Amino acid sequence: MSEADEDDLARAALETVREASAAMCLIAADEILERLLAKGFAERLQTTPEADPCLRLAAVLSGLPGIASFESLSGRTVYHDPALLSRTYARILDHKDAPELLLAAEIRSNSRDYTRPLPVELFEKTPFDLAPETIEAALKALSCGQEFQDITSLTTAAGAVYLFSTRYLKRGYAVFLAEQDASLTMNP
Amino acid sequence: MAVRSGGFVGKVLRVDLSTGKIGTEDTLERYGALLGGAGIGYRVLWDEVPAGTGPFDPANKLVFAAGVLVGTSVPCNGRTTITTIFPTCWPRPLVGSGHMGGHFAAKLKYAGYDALIVEGKAERPVWLMIRDAHVEIRDAGHLWGTGIRRTTLELSQEMGPDCVVAAIGQAGENQAPMGMVVNSVSHSAGGVGGVMGGKNLKAVAVQGSGAVRIAGDKGAWEALVKFHLSLLGGNNQHVVPSFPTPQAEYYNPASRWIGQPGKRWGAAKPPVEITGALRDPNRIAYRTNSAAYFLGDEAWKYTVRGNGCTACPIRCHTMLKVPSVTTKYGIPDTAQNTCVALMFGRSFFTQLAGKKNSETAIEACMVGMHLADDVGLWSNYGQLQRDLRKLYEGGYLKARLGSKEYASIPWDKYDNADPAFLLDLIPRIANRQGELGEVLSRGTGAIFDHWSIPETEWAKDHTTTYWKMGHPKHHANEDDGQCGVIINTQYNRDAQCHSHTNFVRNGLPLAVQKKLAAAIWGSPDALDAPGDYTPANVHKARRAKWSLLRKELHDALGVCNWMGPWAASPLQERGYAGDDSLESKFLSLATGQTVDREGLDRAAERIFTLHRALTIRDMGQVNMRAEHDLVPPWIFEDQNGAAPFTKGSIRMDPADIARAMDFYYEVMGWDKDTGAPGKARYAELGLADVGDTLAAAKLTPETGK
Amino acid sequence: MHTIRGLSSKWIEQAAKASGFEAELSRRGFLKLSVCALSGLAMLGLGDAFGENAPLVILDNATGCILADPTRCVGCQRCELACTEFNDGRAQPSLARIKISRALNFGLAGPTGGVGMHGDWGDGLVVQSVCRQCPHPVPCATACPQDAIISDPKTGARVVDAALCVGCRLCQQACPWGMLSFDEKAGVATKCFLCHGSPKCVEACPAAALRYVPWRDLTRDGSPNRATLSVTAPEKAKACLDCHLPAGTKSAK
Repeated sequence: MSEADEDDLARAALETVREASAAMCLIAADEILERLLAKGFAERLQTTPEADPCLRLAAVLSGLPGIASFESLSGRTVYHDPALLSRTYARILDHKDAPELLLAAEIRSNSRDYTRPLPVELFEKTPFDLAPETIEAALKALSCGQEFQDITSLTTAAGAVYLFSTRYLKRGYAVFLAEQDASLTMNP
Repeated sequence: MAVRSGGFVGKVLRVDLSTGKIGTEDTLERYGALLGGAGIGYRVLWDEVPAGTGPFDPANKLVFAAGVLVGTSVPCNGRTTITTIFPTCWPRPLVGSGHMGGHFAAKLKYAGYDALIVEGKAERPVWLMIRDAHVEIRDAGHLWGTGIRRTTLELSQEMGPDCVVAAIGQAGENQAPMGMVVNSVSHSAGGVGGVMGGKNLKAVAVQGSGAVRIAGDKGAWEALVKFHLSLLGGNNQHVVPSFPTPQAEYYNPASRWIGQPGKRWGAAKPPVEITGALRDPNRIAYRTNSAAYFLGDEAWKYTVRGNGCTACPIRCHTMLKVPSVTTKYGIPDTAQNTCVALMFGRSFFTQLAGKKNSETAIEACMVGMHLADDVGLWSNYGQLQRDLRKLYEGGYLKARLGSKEYASIPWDKYDNADPAFLLDLIPRIANRQGELGEVLSRGTGAIFDHWSIPETEWAKDHTTTYWKMGHPKHHANEDDGQCGVIINTQYNRDAQCHSHTNFVRNGLPLAVQKKLAAAIWGSPDALDAPGDYTPANVHKARRAKWSLLRKELHDALGVCNWMGPWAASPLQERGYAGDDSLESKFLSLATGQTVDREGLDRAAERIFTLHRALTIRDMGQVNMRAEHDLVPPWIFEDQNGAAPFTKGSIRMDPADIARAMDFYYEVMGWDKDTGAPGKARYAELGLADVGDTLAAAKLTPETGK
Repeated sequence: MHTIRGLSSKWIEQAAKASGFEAELSRRGFLKLSVCALSGLAMLGLGDAFGENAPLVILDNATGCILADPTRCVGCQRCELACTEFNDGRAQPSLARIKISRALNFGLAGPTGGVGMHGDWGDGLVVQSVCRQCPHPVPCATACPQDAIISDPKTGARVVDAALCVGCRLCQQACPWGMLSFDEKAGVATKCFLCHGSPKCVEACPAAALRYVPWRDLTRDGSPNRATLSVTAPEKAKACLDCHLPAGTKSAK
């Protein structure tokens, strides 16, 4: 395959990932392959009969500038353009159908990165849009799971519930941050 | 002048109400080195108002100053700074400024004036008419006793629909120190309303048809404006949205960037659904909804639209329409405001203060906005409300008010958190009726004076958030450790500085904030996470200095320090950096005279140092460190007894704060023992005459020891 | 393409070329020929018609116009400022060709408008004023004794040719919506020229309250908001009668 062909293929792959990201979708290699084949890239992907076009494509994808990938809950590697679909949002999309994992991942990353506990109502809002019962059930499930023992909650003096991970935040500090967060509107 | 400068419009208008004399002076010639805003105000006070002048003396002056960038499309301009001998400063009035947005500043510039100096005292109530070069003092007899809304309407009828009226209500007429001046419905400057009243000046109404010239290349100007827009976040320059979005890596539930697809301005006709990508410059106005942020998501359905100052795309004055308040309280169903003034009504009630999604709290806010912005009553950054709560709940009122007066106040309504209570209370304060009205109309200091309550009863009680000199803290150690403490020691009223807190609360992860901090202030240690404080260091002092200078600079340029500085941005491709030289880039293009960031910061330091000089002169005291730069005892306490520097405590350590002040005085080039600038420092900043005068009065460190 | 009563611009150009008016056509971008004269040309030949008829300004419809949605307007005036800063290098709402300031406080009814007032002090609605880029008869262009209001070749916007404008302000008097501005510094009138197809105001609105859309006749929406004094030069007025005939008559000539 010529260098120009290689470039064409890379460009088409990039475009396919970006299209998916713009539509707020994560895309796996086989789906990219399908779309590329539909666009007439079959020949360039099947240079030798024994080569798996998916592997070939994975090699192309790994070389694409600015494209991120991660292993999704389904176990497949999925791709996205962080400029159009951020890593944070991609993670949320991937966990959309697994509320427990969604909560655990958000709670942990917030406790680790910012650092802060999260008000429980956050998960009732867009883009999570979880029903209060779903959140309650998910938290209950988390509390039973061995690997989620770090996920816990606290209640402020005014009764607001916040969630945090003890892996990254000590309770005392989490309480302080929660009280501060809850009083921000009185400290404008 | 052969070549006219841009930015500045060239003239300062001076009106003597005692003699009726109206004149102008050349802005650049006399005030060029001080840019505008409080810079002009401080200079006028230094040159013309002798130490010891009282706020209501005819010898006090009121300087309404716009800024060099006011009237242009620089995002978030539109600010007026009103400098005077500030009446709520306790125990002795000292220099201070009230600040207001709205459309007054821009109109003043279009009329051809960078500032307006009002002096003397009119014999009878008057208003000032400014129509470009035509300036007239007119009789306001028919307006005296009316609220700000009526005054505005009647003056607009006299002048025409496009005038902007800055008026006082009953509180200002009665020379209440807590009186404020209001323009454009909801844009108010606290503390200066009574000073206007003292001059018998009911209002200033301005019409302007002229231009603010951009001296530099207009293409470069357009590009810079668009670049600045790309750096904007939501209100307070919170650069990440409060919710995850496909375009943003970060989010922060506490962010004031709360607008998102799915929300709507429910009281618009028809409602406006928020759609599209809020990163789009044509969607900036949908990011902020102060009402929904402060009052809860329920406020979206009452939202008519965002409103705000000239040229600001943020629109933090949310307009609400709540039909129920008309029948319940007999007030108009539409009101608008932001922050503390939006919450003015709710905050009086312990049960409602800070309460979200409560219909009663929203109604209380509607009643509060309607009354406060009509009678022109200031809240002193919410201290008025905290004072009433403490006075009542602490039993002070029952013990001190006469029983007849106490019984005349509808406390049952107050106990039940009934917003109708405000219909009694607020006019009582504006009219200075009875002991309670009189004391509250004078500000917190009057509580100490009138009822012989020791100041420490407030200063020891963290819940009052009282700081010093009759005023509360304004983003201190709870937000920003020693940096916040330093900033809160510097003014003669609440600090009104947002440079530091806008950065701390911008919503970016701590690691990103520290990276940006290293680039601007020389070290990631310039900043701690809130409640995770490390000992004082010079970088924090540098950031405190930067914060103070940018606040003064913004007032001088007429740019909003509630939005600026733009140290961070939502742009991942810039590593979330904003642009710390935006102000100098704008000023250079506007005036056609290149000034770099350092040069402009120096001008800001000149202005800030003049404020220091005025404070020293009027206190007759060089030892600022011991007598002025004070902190309340509560910052050295923790309700759970935690030690300073414990994670989760905002408790400060006295020795560490002393070190923080050392670092601060050092970076300011001031004497460490007294916290006062020396003669040489004044001279370095182009204030040699000021240094000489103070030295002669033994008010510089070298002469004062 | 300029089309007047079925006469293609190509035909008109040929006619003009034949009669020596070509320079007027190409330089000014509009027709300085009366419709009847052109009809006459078709029937009677070129020579006589031009001599007898005075010029009448007839401008083709613009291709685009600015639509303003008051329910989205947040009253920031960034559109006014973008208009004058980016085009003229100065911030001056009184010069802006989109007008917000005058309606910001009380709406177009003003402070004497009573309970129906709009604006910040009324019901909150800010009604923006934009140039409708009027169809024929274009009030400002018709009123201009210098024929200085011409059609922008790219957008068909009615624009003031500053080189021809003498600053008499008759256009300001003629516009039923008060959309002409006067540049006191230059001594000439100015009006919305759609920024040659990419209006700065539309780009500047932080609330997406302005849109640049294909032209439609906005003069039919609502009613004019001011009294006008439409002075038409006698020779132009006479030419109007060439087309505006008494009912039942076929031709004035």
